[in-house]
Amino acid sequence: MSIALEADRLTKTYGAVRALDDFSLAIPAGGVFGVLGPNGAGKSTLFRIALGLVRPTSGAVRLSGAAPGDITALRKVGAMIETPRYPAYLTGRDTLKMLALESGLKSPDIDGWLERVGIAHAADRSTSGYSVGMKQRLGLAAAFFTKPELVILDEPTSGMDPAGIQEIRALIVDLARREGVTVILASHQLDEVRRVCDRVAILSKGKVVAEGGVAELTAGEARLRITAASPIAQILAVLGAKGVADGADAALADIRRDEAPALIRSLVEAGVEIIEARWRDADLEGVYLKTLERTSEEQGGDA
Amino acid sequence: MLADAIAAERFRLLRDRSAVFWGFCFAPLVGFVLSIGGDLFLHNVIKKPMPGLGIGLIDQVIKALSTGASTFDALFLMIGAAAVLAGDYRWETWRLLTPRNTRQNLLLAKLVVVGEAAFWSLILTAVLSAVAAVIGAGINGKALSLSMFGHGPFDILGVLAITWLEVMTLAALAAFVGVLSRSTMGVVVVCLGARFIQTILASSLRLMEQGQPSWKLLALPVFDADLLRAALLDPAQLGQASGSAGPALIALFAWTAVLAAGAVLLFRRQDLTKE
Repeated sequence: MSIALEADRLTKTYGAVRALDDFSLAIPAGGVFGVLGPNGAGKSTLFRIALGLVRPTSGAVRLSGAAPGDITALRKVGAMIETPRYPAYLTGRDTLKMLALESGLKSPDIDGWLERVGIAHAADRSTSGYSVGMKQRLGLAAAFFTKPELVILDEPTSGMDPAGIQEIRALIVDLARREGVTVILASHQLDEVRRVCDRVAILSKGKVVAEGGVAELTAGEARLRITAASPIAQILAVLGAKGVADGADAALADIRRDEAPALIRSLVEAGVEIIEARWRDADLEGVYLKTLERTSEEQGGDA
Repeated sequence: MLADAIAAERFRLLRDRSAVFWGFCFAPLVGFVLSIGGDLFLHNVIKKPMPGLGIGLIDQVIKALSTGASTFDALFLMIGAAAVLAGDYRWETWRLLTPRNTRQNLLLAKLVVVGEAAFWSLILTAVLSAVAAVIGAGINGKALSLSMFGHGPFDILGVLAITWLEVMTLAALAAFVGVLSRSTMGVVVVCLGARFIQTILASSLRLMEQGQPSWKLLALPVFDADLLRAALLDPAQLGQASGSAGPALIALFAWTAVLAAGAVLLFRRQDLTKE
């Protein structure tokens, strides 16, 4: 399996702040990989180091097997880092023309890409008059139009309306699945990550705190949802510390699958009138928040 | 590839009409307007024929090119150079460019494009000064000749090359200051200050020295360029100092190379967290 981006014991400090702390991660080529984490977790710093915008304090990063700044590797990479900015004197079309020249592209499909990201109508307008969403769309065209093998996107849909988000999400999935482009995506929108990504890494305070397939990460966190005609307090009394109310007539039990028969027996013996008991897969948001909470507690404990 | 980066920078500059006009066209145009204005003033206000046999076309072009890197011209050239060399800090667009080419290529391309633009600016200066000479001769009824001092077209090329090299020394300083300060304003202020201080130092030191110029004088690009122009156009006037033309040329090249290399080295190590 080839590796698209590999970080090896990467550390980056800005004064007293450690943006990345002995950070290691290997992102496989193919599919869409999500990078999650709160503000300041180190997502943008990782991308900036990989793209040669920032030098690491220590450690190494390799992009498609090459060191940052290697022109052969760079030519296979498209990127959009944070909210893209453009020289105000260039139109959308001129911006792509300029980037095509910079990338050594002979016949780029500029009009096709402007059409594909939905800003063909504004192609000859100065980018200074573009809305944030339009700038994002132009940034996506700039990342993809060079036909890269790997695309790094940092918050690609921020500032977009819901229809735009859906459109761009479909575009990313389409490019990854149909054209075999590897996409590494950082986003705060967990629903977007769940829908688009195959694998994710959760970052906190400059370290990877969880990594795996989306299904794999959420499956381990499944909980049994018990709906009953009896008062909720009666169910919670049986569940103890493992239970939590979920609405007026249901509770979530944080147990293993093999503990379910014994628990249901205990509930029935306690007189609880069970209407339904079903396993509910945890959503990514739950996993994300729980992971960060756990990490914070561990780090607090260490301190 | 460096050629790709140069093509992209050239494309950008041609789209940046404000930088092209103010940086590379305005000073030659002002020179042209002032020249014509002066001739009209002589003709319409003073109304007296000025002494002199006539106007030498090549002499006028050489005169205009010789002052092509004066403090006034440098002000506008540095406005244009700053837009190219430090514009990406202003627009926060390094993040758009850096993943597409090497840092070295990106900065060297900017320097090459500034050099190209400065060259065309000097050509515009030469053409407009020739046109102004023709118009001026017509206005004041002076005889127009090729040269009053026996200068030829190769002298124009020589002066053009020396002044261009003088401008490139400033452009290399602009690249260094641009990377260091991350500011277009910083480029203009520092380069203009450096140009102005050099002019004062060169004239003060020259007054104190006789014969061969000292290393202190030769370290000033402004003095080097003046010395080279004088050595080309009137070597007899220089006396002993004409022997310093070689070191002066080396000094101009050395300043340009050292400042450009310094800018590239600094830029290669620079973190572009927030441009």
